[in-house]
Amino acid sequence: MGFAAGLIFVGVYCLLAMKNVIKLFIGIEVISKGVSLALLASGFVRKNTLLAQSLVITFIVVEVSLVATALAIIINIYKHTKSLDIRKLTKLKG
Amino acid sequence: MVLQIVLLSGLVVFSVLAILSKDILKSAISLAIASLLLGIIFFRMSAPYAGVFEISVVAGLITVLFILTIALTKAEGDVREAKLAKIVFPLFFVIFILIDVFVMKSLIQNIPALPETAERGTFGDVLWKQRTFDLVGQLAVILAGVFSVLALFRKRDKNE
Repeated sequence: MGFAAGLIFVGVYCLLAMKNVIKLFIGIEVISKGVSLALLASGFVRKNTLLAQSLVITFIVVEVSLVATALAIIINIYKHTKSLDIRKLTKLKG
Repeated sequence: MVLQIVLLSGLVVFSVLAILSKDILKSAISLAIASLLLGIIFFRMSAPYAGVFEISVVAGLITVLFILTIALTKAEGDVREAKLAKIVFPLFFVIFILIDVFVMKSLIQNIPALPETAERGTFGDVLWKQRTFDLVGQLAVILAGVFSVLALFRKRDKNE
């Protein structure tokens, strides 16, 4: 469980410190790895692996859908701004 | 136990490499290796189905999607990350690990997780009978993903 918390910390740090949109998304992926590890570890400790496993599979399916949509959005952002810098996405500001 | 700790440490190390690496392609490959290690950890925790999903879908499909996006954008050089973020990271990480080591053990005993009951049946019984509503949600999410990708990549009319 400590390792899962470490992964979540690494992902959150990436979200706070990085500027590249793809890097930010890699941060979200790292957080999701931490969450799935925490889910399965809690199931393993409580001897409830089957239920934890089915929750992890549901989580992975949702994750894939999220990745496909987010990467499509990133490609569209690149088409509009010709850059992957999050600081240039200021058109929705204010 | 030692192998498990080595695998978990490798998972954290490759995740750190994925966020600190300058080249995004190397980041994506580090993320794939981290997924592979996570899949092996799932196998060792007697969760083979989750392991197979993790390795085939996350380490395979998602990495391909990432590399495809990197190839389509080709602009990794134009974003300059702050050097301070990379320099300060080890300090914050060590502080977090210390907090993690001291706090997590006592915290885990107090937080209720899954019910501690003996499991009956097979994985199929749990997934198809107990968690049927999850499958409906999964279908909805997949459909939403497909439609959103179609909407994002549709060709625009000249009048728009």
